[in-house]
This record gives sequence, structure tokens and C-alpha cells, in this order.
Amino acid sequence: MGSEVDDAYLVRRAQEGYVDAYADLVDRHGLLAYRVALRLLGNHQDAEDVAQEALVAAWQQLPGFKADSSFSTWLYRIVTRRALNRITRRRVTESLDLLGDVSDAGDGPGQQTERNLTVDAVTDAVTALPPPQRVAIVLRHFEGLPLAEIADITGSTVPAVRSHLFRGRRTLSKTLAEWR
Amino acid sequence: MSGPGQPIDDVSLLLSGANTRLACGADIDALLEQAADGYAGQFTSHQRDCLYCQAALREFGRLWEPVRDLAAERVTVPAAVKIAVASQIRKLVADVWYTLQLSDGGAVRVAARVVARIAREAARDVAGVGVAFGRSTHSRMAGLVERATLRHRHPNAAVGVLGRTAVVDLAIAVEYGDQVDAVARAVQRRAVAELRSKVGLRDVTVNVTVDDVIT
Repeated sequence: MGSEVDDAYLVRRAQEGYVDAYADLVDRHGLLAYRVALRLLGNHQDAEDVAQEALVAAWQQLPGFKADSSFSTWLYRIVTRRALNRITRRRVTESLDLLGDVSDAGDGPGQQTERNLTVDAVTDAVTALPPPQRVAIVLRHFEGLPLAEIADITGSTVPAVRSHLFRGRRTLSKTLAEWR
Repeated sequence: MSGPGQPIDDVSLLLSGANTRLACGADIDALLEQAADGYAGQFTSHQRDCLYCQAALREFGRLWEPVRDLAAERVTVPAAVKIAVASQIRKLVADVWYTLQLSDGGAVRVAARVVARIAREAARDVAGVGVAFGRSTHSRMAGLVERATLRHRHPNAAVGVLGRTAVVDLAIAVEYGDQVDAVARAVQRRAVAELRSKVGLRDVTVNVTVDDVIT
């Protein structure tokens, strides 16, 4: 039910004040918002906050949304921007964090499998990338988006995205090689 | 650096900023891209004969395996996210209320959004309806009233109390092949009946807009 109409239809209805149409958009794209935030920020708590903020902000900005890009591209843009804001803010307070990062893996140490360790290591390596490279890597290699869409999302150009990707892949590969 | 076909001893050195090309002239970043995109095993005609390229691709492919594993990992949205979004949006949307006067025991207020929701659910049950959305036509007016009275209103006063008369808009998309007006009329009848019986609203107007056909 509801899966037959396209996003543009739901966007139009939501713009007309049919709140449930926006709820359907959240059902369809909430995962995208959360997943990108999770890959950019590296932990579930921040990802939850950012995804939530972004989905509410998208509702508020919906009257100004023009159909010149798809809803998902537009949502990617909002999530990415909010995640970047959080990264910059976090960097300022990081030096005060004397206790260090609390691991959000709910499982006890006995459940930490080798796979979890690998996942954590890759997550750390990705979140250690400088923000522009991180965004490019996440959108390209985690979300599988074409370069043109990444340029659209980040307000950049295809050559600039390509260059961030080149540098990001090198840095990430070097980190992974050292870790191995 | 290692010879052709030999395992690469130090990938980090190969990846250091100074190196841009392999001994065969192949662009390191292009090979890295190929491996990261998951095509390390699909050789170009040059790569088919080049042991330098094959060794580098093998190595890069291995390096990127955990990245691809993480990318392929299934992520689920915590239910809390959707609940929080829905509740925050509810706060942002000006609420209108229908007040049902009871003979004794006080008044009952029903939010217009609840009324719209019930109308929507009723519409969805009608054969031939693909999707349906409901809204209260008074929401817009209530928003204006709320803004105008914000400064001199009692904090507990309800906004846009509308009494027992409800006007609901339903936007529906019908399935292709059904008779549009018959579906729309059935939706109207059913929504009105549901609102009368489930909410107790006496005067109900349901405007149905058919704005799409689903094939």
C-alpha cells in the first residue's frame, strides 16, 4: 500500500498539508538519512540525532523544495550538511572529553567477534578522514551514488568530487594497510 | 618496490603521495578506484598482460574488502527516530479541534488530524483506491488564528475549536481501470459513515480529489 506512487507525488501532497504523505516519505527515506549519518559520524547516538533533525528540517523546508532534484538527493544534502555541522562542533569540544569515546556496542566483551573489530576499524578509518573526503567516500562507496549526484548534493563539481575521492581512497587504504 | 607479479611488500609505500604510477605506467589512483568499485578482478586488455597491475589490483582489492563488507551491512533505523520525527512534526502543525458536547461529564475534544486519519483509513478500505491522504481544511485557518492570538491567549486555550462540523479533504489515487466517479463516491460515503459512527461528528463534509491514476 502506498508503494505504487512516486516520491514526487508524495512531496506534492505533503506540500499541500497532507501530513501523512510526509510520514510515507519518512518511511521510504528514513533509512537513507540514518545510514548516511551513521557512516559519516561513526556512532549510533549521533546518527539518530542527526537523522531526526534532518527529517524534521526537511518537513520545515518542504514548501521551498523545488522538484529540480529528487527528494532523496535533497534529503542527502540536508543530512550531510547537518552531519558536517556536528563534526565541526564536536571537534571543538573533543579536547575536553577526558573519558574518551564510550563504545556504543551494547554487547559484552565476550560477543566482540573479529568481524565487529573489523567493522569498528573501518568505521574509525572512515571517520578519521577530513570531512570533504569523508563525505565523498561515504556517498560514493557506501551509498553507491554517481559522481554527478554527489556534486549536486555537496554543491560542488564532478572534478572536485573526483579529487576528494582520490585523496580519500589513498588515505583510507593507507590506514587499512597499516592496520592489517 | 617488488618486481612484476611478486606480492607487494609495502602497500603503504606504494600509496604514499610521491607515487602516482606503477612501473608499467598505470595510474595508481585509477587502479585504486577500480578495486574500490569492486572490479579488481575485471582486467582491461593492458591489465591482462601486466603483472604489475594484477599484483596491485589484488592487493587493493584485499584492502577494500572490509570497506565493502561494512557498506553491505544491513542497517535498520531505530524506531525511536520515526516516532520522534512524527511527534515533532505534530507539534509544528497547528492543531484544530472538534469539540463534542456531552450531556454530562464534560466535553470531549478530538484533534482534526485524528479525524483526517480516520477518513484516510476509511478511504483506503474502498476497492479501487491506490493511495489516500486526508487533511482538515481548517488547518490553514487555525494556523492564522493561532498566530493572531498568540500574545493574548490563555496558555491552555484550545486553538481553532470548530464544534461538531467537520470538513475533511481526501486526496486519492485510483487504480487504473476502475470507474473514477464511482470510486470517489464510495470513498465519500464510507468516510462520512465512519466519521459519524466512530467520532460522533454530526455534520461531516468530505471533499474527495482524485489526483492520480495508478497503473
